[in-house]
Amino acid sequence: MTSTEISPLVRDLQAALGADLVLYAPEDLLAYEYDASIEHAVPDAVVLPVNTEQVAVAVRIADHYGVPVVPRGSGTGFAGGALAVQGGVLVVLTGMNQIREIDADNRIAVVEPGLINLQLQEALVPYGLVYAPDPSSQRICTIGGNVGTNSGGPHTLAHGSTVNHILGMEIVLPGGRVIWLGGRQVDAPGVDLRGVFVGSEGTLGIVTAICVRLVRKNEAIRTMLAVFDTIDDASEAVSEVIRRRVVPMAMEMLDQETIQVVEPRVHAGYPLDAGAVLLIEVEGTVETVAHDAAVVVAACESQRAREVRIAEEESEREALWEGRKSAIGALGSTSPAIYLLDGVVPRTRLPQVLRQVLERSAAAGFRCANMFHAGDGNLHPTILFDPQEEGATERVLALGGEIMQLCVEAGGSITGEHGVGLEKRSYMSWIFSAADLEAMDRVRIAFDPAGLFNPCKILPTGHGCAQGHFEPLKQHLQTTGVYV
Amino acid sequence: MSNPTETSVEVSADIEGLRAALPPGTAVPVEPFDVDGARPALAARPNTPAEVATILRCSSERGIAVVPQGGRTALSLGRPLDRYELALDTTGLNSVIEYAPEDLTITVEAGLTLRSLQAALGESGQYLPVDPPPDDRVTVGGLLATARSGAWRGHLPAARDLVLGATVAMADGALTTSGGRVVKNVSGFDMHRLHTGALGALGVIVGASFKVAPQPASHRSMLLRCSSMAAAGALARALWNLNLAVRAITVLGPRVAEAIGLTAQPAVLVEFAGVEAATTSSAGRAAELARESGARAESSDDSLWTKLRSLGGESSDSVVTRAGVPTTSVAALVEQAESLGFAAWGHVAAGAVWMRSTDAGEPRITALRTSAEAVQGFLQIESAPRGLREQLDPFGETERELVRALKERFDATGTINPGRWMIGV
Repeated sequence: MTSTEISPLVRDLQAALGADLVLYAPEDLLAYEYDASIEHAVPDAVVLPVNTEQVAVAVRIADHYGVPVVPRGSGTGFAGGALAVQGGVLVVLTGMNQIREIDADNRIAVVEPGLINLQLQEALVPYGLVYAPDPSSQRICTIGGNVGTNSGGPHTLAHGSTVNHILGMEIVLPGGRVIWLGGRQVDAPGVDLRGVFVGSEGTLGIVTAICVRLVRKNEAIRTMLAVFDTIDDASEAVSEVIRRRVVPMAMEMLDQETIQVVEPRVHAGYPLDAGAVLLIEVEGTVETVAHDAAVVVAACESQRAREVRIAEEESEREALWEGRKSAIGALGSTSPAIYLLDGVVPRTRLPQVLRQVLERSAAAGFRCANMFHAGDGNLHPTILFDPQEEGATERVLALGGEIMQLCVEAGGSITGEHGVGLEKRSYMSWIFSAADLEAMDRVRIAFDPAGLFNPCKILPTGHGCAQGHFEPLKQHLQTTGVYV
Repeated sequence: MSNPTETSVEVSADIEGLRAALPPGTAVPVEPFDVDGARPALAARPNTPAEVATILRCSSERGIAVVPQGGRTALSLGRPLDRYELALDTTGLNSVIEYAPEDLTITVEAGLTLRSLQAALGESGQYLPVDPPPDDRVTVGGLLATARSGAWRGHLPAARDLVLGATVAMADGALTTSGGRVVKNVSGFDMHRLHTGALGALGVIVGASFKVAPQPASHRSMLLRCSSMAAAGALARALWNLNLAVRAITVLGPRVAEAIGLTAQPAVLVEFAGVEAATTSSAGRAAELARESGARAESSDDSLWTKLRSLGGESSDSVVTRAGVPTTSVAALVEQAESLGFAAWGHVAAGAVWMRSTDAGEPRITALRTSAEAVQGFLQIESAPRGLREQLDPFGETERELVRALKERFDATGTINPGRWMIGV
């Protein structure tokens, strides 16, 4: 493309931000066509701002031309939230990745949205502080992306999702006005727009600075591996721990299918012949941890745990977690393709729903691996399949829908931490009435009257948004690869 | 009145039309429902969410101003009402809809009091870990609409972080639900968070689901008397940094100490909670730290917390304000407030400073708000006589355009709590 072919949109963006912060050539845009979902879309332009003013200017220019604006971090989202499905300007925030401030005495930090979650954790180590949300993708996902999807992670069980840890945010609103929502303390006066914004998946504005709440590292921590012959026993053990009035920091389950894939590759220490393992972590004062760990061991043994192993060394603890956190990658390397789902059920329905998930998968002719946040009832069934096999893709999609239905029928939700994005917008009507969705739309319109911010996401309707998303999804699944 | 255009509309409010349209059996006497000395023309106590929705729809159609109320513990929070014709008493909505102890979740109606909720949970050794002022007369709807929290905040989550979903009756009569009953859920906007802290201005909460917690196996309190506010602040922060098994660390100014029956001296009040071994050990370590810093430690009971909590409640002759400031500024703000005649106390983990006075005027409150804002904090007037709430914005500086846009989308007719909420909508 020569300079004479540059569109007025790109020309204005270049004039405002400088040519090196604006991408528009087709070969440059391709890198931003995908996120970690199964869909893809090409934006008209990509901007790479390094400060709030540049974000605001880009938004104003997009507004002037009436084109969509889609924010993006590392692109690790599973639900297609970072895809520019109607084109427009993709605002990539990975260049805004500074830690502006760590106020250790007051346990807050102010960071930019492109900062990688793990980099914040590492920066906090010298202070003995922790940013609690720890999505499994924390090595690459950004804090801004975590805000967008209200990310969870293993430690959500005790600490809650991202929203509980965000005190305030600087936001560029649709139209380009810059405001702060919330502040540097909890419970700012009046309406909690901060709480609504977190998890809005880029539909209400672009976050350009984030004040996060930190917690002090506990003096004691104990990580345990409980080994079971069956998934049912492991599920019952999760409930038994809660019944004994202990809420651990994390309770993660890996089933046999996952163990047999992960262990040979990661050497985490999971017994290969186990039906399921639970990874349980308790934290607190020395006395609290001693008590809680004893309760966990007794609860697991009462539910026929074959063995409960306590990580004695930090290296052993890290290995146990490494197995959990690399499970998806390991599964991806063992199958031509995998399809990762995210659903939630009441914790007590876990045994029943897991049984149904495995039955339905087997009936459809697929292996299904499960590694998930058992304490929260947050399932991640992962279907292994070969897209080259005749009809496999259609059956995987149908199975995914069936599994989401099982979660809904059990009184659960269609997503616990990955978000709705593009992938699940048509499922929203399974759990919400037309009036419920219309109320959400009122919020969206209050923030974005022109409807230009991340169109076709979350809500099942929208101007010019195709109702069905299964066709591109199907096409994509039919090419060999890892789709998680 | 802050909005003359809206007040002129009420001339045509069709009171008799609404009286006839109220769902059968919901009309109740108006006498108990005065707000700021004004008595409504009508009062209704619906028994179902659908009746609430009907009442709201019929009211908005007739230009009637509706004021939802449950435990009636926070009616002087917010600006004075522009209009008040119908009292909507939510206490008829008082059922536990579903309690799943093993899932640590409960779904209840909004008029249920915290006392009833905690009693239901207590049977399974669980509780909703919140302690808003003034006491457990607060209803679930009031808890969320005011978003108030107490001494536990910062050590434990607030109501806004424990609510999993809510059902809300909107001004136009629609009944809408958000979230769900599971403990982790990111499906759609968290509308329950929008209504938390919105004082009903965007819709009336009729039910909510919560994540609950096991009650701690033991709890105990300790009072640490200090020589100065600065010493109390330093000791409180040092305690916080020890990461003990605590549920509250609160600095007390001399005036508030006196108000709860202690000698007028700066102090730190600590509550330990957890397994017995942990609270015993933590109390020992706290006492040791206190000794090293020259404070006198003595064990205490729950009554001090109860008294402190009630001081955060409203009364006809008092002003209560709440500031949010950095933890490192808590003791200084307590000291300043006390020097201005307030009884003041501060929860260090949340950076929340509460102040109560019977003779505080606009200049003193403004001075404290200025101090809070100087450290990037805020000050909210939690309750005050009507005149003061006309003089001073209870909420302080706020985002105006979004608030206005939301009110227009959710309650275009200005039916619910007109004038009371932020920016006078």
